[in-house]
Amino acid sequence: MIEIMFSSLFAMLTSGKIMGLMLIGVLCGLIVGVTPGIGGRLSIALAIPFVFGMEMIPGAVFLLTMHAVNGTSGQISSIMFGVPGDGDDAATTIDGYPMAKKGEAGRALGASVTASGVGGIFGAVVFAVMIPVLEPVVLAFSPAEFFLLALLGITFIAFLAGGGHIFRGIIVGLLGLMLATIGMDPYTGTPRYAGDLLFLWDGLSLVTAVLALFAIPEMIALAVRGGSIAAVSQEAAKFSYRQLFQGVMEVPRHWWLVLRTSAIGAVVGMIPGLGSNTAAWFCYGHAVQSSKTPERFGHGAVEGVIAPECGSNSREGGSLLPTLFFGIPGSSGMAVLMGAFIILGIQPGPTMMTDNLPLVWTLIWALVVGNLIAVFFLLFIMRWAAMLTFVNGAMLVPFIIVLAVVGAYVNEGQWQNLLILVAISVIGYGLLRFNWPRAPFVIGLVLGRISEESLHKALGLWGLEFFLRPLSLVLVALIVATIAFAVYRNLRPPKAPQHLSVAR
Amino acid sequence: MMPSIARYSNSIMTLLLLAIFVTMIAISSRYPAGARFMTFVVGIPAIALCLLQLVLDARERRLSSKVADHRSDIEKAEEQVARLVGHKVHFDVGHLLLPESDLDPREQVRRELIAWGYFLAFIAGIILFGFHLAVPVFLIAFLRLRAQASWRMTLGLTAIACTVLFVAFEKVLRVSLHTGFITDYFLG
Repeated sequence: MIEIMFSSLFAMLTSGKIMGLMLIGVLCGLIVGVTPGIGGRLSIALAIPFVFGMEMIPGAVFLLTMHAVNGTSGQISSIMFGVPGDGDDAATTIDGYPMAKKGEAGRALGASVTASGVGGIFGAVVFAVMIPVLEPVVLAFSPAEFFLLALLGITFIAFLAGGGHIFRGIIVGLLGLMLATIGMDPYTGTPRYAGDLLFLWDGLSLVTAVLALFAIPEMIALAVRGGSIAAVSQEAAKFSYRQLFQGVMEVPRHWWLVLRTSAIGAVVGMIPGLGSNTAAWFCYGHAVQSSKTPERFGHGAVEGVIAPECGSNSREGGSLLPTLFFGIPGSSGMAVLMGAFIILGIQPGPTMMTDNLPLVWTLIWALVVGNLIAVFFLLFIMRWAAMLTFVNGAMLVPFIIVLAVVGAYVNEGQWQNLLILVAISVIGYGLLRFNWPRAPFVIGLVLGRISEESLHKALGLWGLEFFLRPLSLVLVALIVATIAFAVYRNLRPPKAPQHLSVAR
Repeated sequence: MMPSIARYSNSIMTLLLLAIFVTMIAISSRYPAGARFMTFVVGIPAIALCLLQLVLDARERRLSSKVADHRSDIEKAEEQVARLVGHKVHFDVGHLLLPESDLDPREQVRRELIAWGYFLAFIAGIILFGFHLAVPVFLIAFLRLRAQASWRMTLGLTAIACTVLFVAFEKVLRVSLHTGFITDYFLG
């Protein structure tokens, strides 16, 4: 294990290709994070066409670093303008924006970027520590459990993405599984739902489906919504390097809080279904609760910036664990990343432990090195990066649509894929418009083939008794418990709003 | 007419997905047993869940008319943290996190139709005239008419984007982009 660990690091650091792609990934991730209108999931979806055909390790390192550093730059607009880029950043806004209003934007940004980097590295360390602990559990899984794991993955991600509407999430996950059956059936040779359409015989293109589900609906929604945050004065983007350095030093000064919130974030990430915002809010609440002067929070306390940033970034390392070893993504961003990994030929599951341990260690090191590069890079370019938040969102729409359409086409070089892109985009926009989760669809689609194979194998080996195997029973119990809890939440009458007395 | 559609909007997706599952199950019922096994394992529970979701949608409509949560995001966040820490909290973030005023439903639909019109026209343009013609036309039309960029900005950005795109995909990645049926017909 130790040998693989260090040989992976050495191989990564000495490979010009991997390091080059990591640098590009970091740069793209930081730009995407700071640019309004492009989320982490969308950036992964748009990057898929570029890694198609790439070798497994460089492609995976590029995508993972891009995804991992996304949140590091995401808080710039939250702190400077009080406009959070996504749910994770909302917690940082609570104290970051008041700090900026007091003229301490540089200090808040320095603290948040450093905390984010430290959190990311901590998450990777937790992931590494958990490998030997999880090894016997992962290796105990058989085809029977893999079918149930696919169902559990959909249930968790449905719960995570659908919140109180778990059935919506499960229905969308089942739609993904259903569409995964399109193409030649490996057992009977029947071209299911394909008829004479030869381009469908290999199944639905995953790249097209992911782009149609995330890129096009997001861009249509952005075009409909319009606007940008450019109305905020550009004067707000000016601060000194001295202030930034003061912020950086706040992180070692609050090392105990950093350790605690990073640990909380990593554990939250490991538990699929807890939601992406949970880590940040949980850590923020913990910082308030453990402070001797909680009355400072909400008015510009630097601990209120450090805690959520550590938590939300250490979550990435934690959520990689169920994604890689069980095929259950810990977050919706990880769901898209997992789809991208499968396109690269990486099959999540026990083989990651048995055959692909060097890849796992490379990914862990990529998280560590990528976060380090991101922190130094961002601290250096922060003053210019902040100007990107003034980009008009509406100007990005046509370029991203072009990139998505070209991506859908080049994947297989078939113009018919553009029609599939339109059809799934309609479904994707409907899901977005009516508040249905989209991530379970990706899980269903990527796990469809594997789960069908596993189901056939399990039925062949054990018949219907495969449900009674001990591990199967545990997984069935988890699925039932998750659904039962969600149903309870769904059927419980909503509480009347409890207004707090807010002093404005 | 519009308000009644909006009232039932939470069931639109349920009905659409139900229709997809029913159609796929109906088609797969003609396949051999081995080929339709997975579609039945997935599709039949999905249909049952869609029907259950229709009931939940109706319940949601009934309840939402009784209880409406008009709090801003910041007030919800304050409540969430207050619950964690056990006492009232106030976040001094001014007005910026307050929810944007919702678009008028008619205006929303109008903007959606325009955005979809651009997208569908772009796809049709690619299929008929190819990427080389459709991409610059789409970029110029969108930037000039929708994003209201200046002519200088529009033409500059379009030129840069097309150059980067075609060099990246055709020269570096060696992908031949679709040339379009009408273009092919005229150019032989």
